[in-house]
Amino acid sequence: MLTLLKLIQSMIKTLHSEGTPGQVAAGIAIGSVLGLTPLLNLHNLLIFSFVVLLNVSFGGAMLGWALFVPVGFLLDPVFHAVGLELLQAPSLRPLWSTLTNTPLIPYTNFNNTVVLGSFAGWMLLSVPIFFAARYGVARYRATIGERVRQSRFYRAVTASQAYNWYRMFRPG
Amino acid sequence: MRLKIFRWKAIGPLLLLFAIIALVVVVFAEPIAHDTTEEASTELLGTQVDVGKLDLYPRKASVDLRALQIADPFRLTRNLLEADEIRLKLNPTALAEKKLVIEQLSLSGMRFGTTRKTPARPVEGNGFAPKILQAVDQWTKQFNVPLLSLTPIDTIRQLVLNPSQLTTVSQAQALLARTDSTRKALDQGFQQLNIRPTLDSAGALAQRLSATDPSKLGLDGTRQAIQSVQQTLRELDAAKNRVEQLEQSTRAGVQLLGQGAGMLDQARQKDFAFARSLLKLPTFSAPDIGNAFFGQVSIERFKQALYWAELAQQYMPPGLLPRPSPGPQRLRAAGHTIEFPREKDFPRFLLEEGLLDFSIGGTSAARGAYAATVRGLTSVPTLYGRPTVITANRRAAGSALAAIDVDAILDHVTTRTKDSASARLRGLKLPSFDIPGVPFRLDPGIGTSNLDFTMRGGGAQLYGRWAISSQQVRWSVDTAGRSLNDLERLVWRVVSGLSQLEVVAELGGAVASPRLSVRSNLDRAVSQRLQAVIGEEVARAERMVRAKVDSLVADKVEPLKRRIAVVQTEANARIRAERQRLEQVEQQLQAELKRLSGGLVPGIQLPKIKL
Repeated sequence: MLTLLKLIQSMIKTLHSEGTPGQVAAGIAIGSVLGLTPLLNLHNLLIFSFVVLLNVSFGGAMLGWALFVPVGFLLDPVFHAVGLELLQAPSLRPLWSTLTNTPLIPYTNFNNTVVLGSFAGWMLLSVPIFFAARYGVARYRATIGERVRQSRFYRAVTASQAYNWYRMFRPG
Repeated sequence: MRLKIFRWKAIGPLLLLFAIIALVVVVFAEPIAHDTTEEASTELLGTQVDVGKLDLYPRKASVDLRALQIADPFRLTRNLLEADEIRLKLNPTALAEKKLVIEQLSLSGMRFGTTRKTPARPVEGNGFAPKILQAVDQWTKQFNVPLLSLTPIDTIRQLVLNPSQLTTVSQAQALLARTDSTRKALDQGFQQLNIRPTLDSAGALAQRLSATDPSKLGLDGTRQAIQSVQQTLRELDAAKNRVEQLEQSTRAGVQLLGQGAGMLDQARQKDFAFARSLLKLPTFSAPDIGNAFFGQVSIERFKQALYWAELAQQYMPPGLLPRPSPGPQRLRAAGHTIEFPREKDFPRFLLEEGLLDFSIGGTSAARGAYAATVRGLTSVPTLYGRPTVITANRRAAGSALAAIDVDAILDHVTTRTKDSASARLRGLKLPSFDIPGVPFRLDPGIGTSNLDFTMRGGGAQLYGRWAISSQQVRWSVDTAGRSLNDLERLVWRVVSGLSQLEVVAELGGAVASPRLSVRSNLDRAVSQRLQAVIGEEVARAERMVRAKVDSLVADKVEPLKRRIAVVQTEANARIRAERQRLEQVEQQLQAELKRLSGGLVPGIQLPKIKL
């Protein structure tokens, strides 16, 4: 329940943030990799750094992460199949051999079928996710966004302490 | 307005986050590494591994393990190895590539075969090691080790045999059905042969021509008559071909029936053995006694050697091809992790050199100088390019424990793998064991034990030899449950008088079809004594078994064999008759053809019919 409340809070804050729909959508697209790929891998630390350093919506990234976790679980069998195909492709074998023997890269676990398959899946899906999210945010703000902003619920959400932290990373 | 790409003010909090992560790693790395080491090594070896304490020394790239215990997968109350301290010096470059290359390993305070305070947990799950353990357990069941049977002759009851238990009876019934269907098929074949119209028309033609004078037929008439004869001869030829085909199929069918009859004799031998086993006749042949006394204990020794050889096959495969293994356990699907070994790079795991050299002083039985080395233990032997060599030995002059020498070479550099190990133990207290089937226990005392084991081609060829020798054997008998019968007392008198023991067990064949032979100095002594006392009575019991089986199968087998013979004779006779009739008519026609063509049509080639 708490997770769900956090998700709603994150969604509300993000949709009403001062970021442009493009910044929110970019945050969602980048953050979705955290949900789609198994979390405890080195590449996700890099992705998280991008989210923090790039001028994209941090809330959007967290929203993307939360939204795509269940998608990741659902698509695991597909990711495994894709990863297996890629890792077993004879033409790619020299690339994988080089990466295996390059310092630090093996800690990304790229040679795991689910990790590689999900990362490849994210690379393919990130562009559609970006455009769909940008359209969705723009439509929301143009239609019901203002009414939600005037509601008590919105004020309660934005009054929390966590919001102050969030403001630090809002898109400039 | 110009859109900013970077959020510079976030660098501070990000660095703070990294610092927190680093702090968490420093604080929790040792407990995590400790748990991971225990978990991973337990799964890898298929037996419980306990690590008392683990210390990381990042600056020296080394790890210290204390109070290490590796349980014996075959005896969970015992440790294979216990070590007070193990120091691993790791290669930092390899570590950066997520590879474990141990440049040097040193151990201290090593003990073997110690008793555990609490029994180890059996390792379960779908890992390689538990699967291999199960497979090795299955492997031991392939051996047909006879149980020593010392049932007194006077307790052998009347043999009660149910005909349905006998293979001969069921095979005879199946063969009877096959004989009937073969006979029906032959009848159908003769009906379909249908040579009567051909014979009738050929006979009529021969008769008509015999009444004809060729000089009155004229040239055209003679030519037509010759053409008719030639046409009929061709039809006869076709009919003969059909008879020949039928003969071939008849011969094949009858041959099958003959083979079936031969199988009945083999089945009868099996039934004799089965009926004999029901009587539980006493064992007194020397090879059977050797196997019964020491077969099981020998298999146990070979089983342990096979387990470690199979693990080596699994974890040290030859070649440089990418190899998949199950991914890490996590909430998300594990998937497969694929390794990509490359020439001139580090393998995933390599123990370059492990050295153990220490001595135990004082007056204890364990005193002596110990030395052990492990070189080139790796997950990619082809990359390392040399076989793994393991040696361990102990020297202690004047000690009760004289010497231990263990050598093992695991050669997985090419696909022609060879794992060989030999262990020589001299002056050691050998473990005591029960003799299966009888309430005797053998304590070999201090003696020598040698084990040689070689596995080639991943199990295509096996060779094993286990020998024990002792001059201080002690026997004990457990009569708590029941008293010994006459035969058991007889055997007890023989064995309890022997203080010397020599056992040699040899393993051969392949993993899929192993062969075991065991011999000992007891075999002949026990066998001769039993032979003298019960030989005649056992032979009489065996004759009774044969008579009983014969009486049950004779009324099924003998009529069947006669029936098969009748089918065979009938078929041959019918074919011979058909062929004779065809040949007779053909000869008549040939004669008429000769008469018609004689002098009138020189150069006419008479069709040659192959009979």
